[in-house]
Amino acid sequence: MTVKVRFFARFRELLGTDIIVSPMEGIVLSDLVKEVAGRNREGYQAIFDEEGVFKEFVILMQNGKRVENSAAGMTLVKDGDEIAVFPPVAGG
Amino acid sequence: MITIQTEDVDIGNLITAAKRHGTGAIVVFDGIVRDDDICEMELEAYGEVAVPELEKIASEAKMIFNLLSVDIIHRIGRLTIGENILVIVVGAGHRNEAYEGSRFIIESIKKGVPIWKKELCKDGDRWVPGEHPHGCGPGK
Repeated sequence: MTVKVRFFARFRELLGTDIIVSPMEGIVLSDLVKEVAGRNREGYQAIFDEEGVFKEFVILMQNGKRVENSAAGMTLVKDGDEIAVFPPVAGG
Repeated sequence: MITIQTEDVDIGNLITAAKRHGTGAIVVFDGIVRDDDICEMELEAYGEVAVPELEKIASEAKMIFNLLSVDIIHRIGRLTIGENILVIVVGAGHRNEAYEGSRFIIESIKKGVPIWKKELCKDGDRWVPGEHPHGCGPGK
């Protein structure tokens, strides 16, 4: 399957964006983000704490819908999904 | 008009277009790049989510405050000091509704619309921290 991962703001600077990946079937959202963020140490550390848990302020979306960080370990990623990962918003 | 764009907007034209039968007050909010000892500001948005979110906020504001018109133009890209970042034009029958509706819209944008600002300074760049740590609310 093919999935697009989009990082924004500081995360984008560290990790890039619009990253197309082909994860294994059955992968959950947290593992997918770990896999992609793991390509850059600083990027990984910006998103995950030392125990590999999402930092509290990190925001996740699956196809434009918010996924609570605590649910990311149970949220299955599907073919064609767009996953977004970003820090707190600061518009206006 | 609800949009995210790089270009500036003519606020006078927005005011003219907002006037309609029943309009008694128009409130304009103009968020501007402030001179906080920065050189420029760079803004980015998750447009596919941010525009529908702005539309939702506008609809909610219309319903709650009985507004007759709402325009929201949020700019992205690189902006210099004094440039418009965000223009909100709200039309209502009376001033209280217009003021309250405008305030509701700007606070809602700051709370939950995926847009980010980076200050570009002589001694380095800095992402502006969000005022609301959790950003986008559940289910959005």
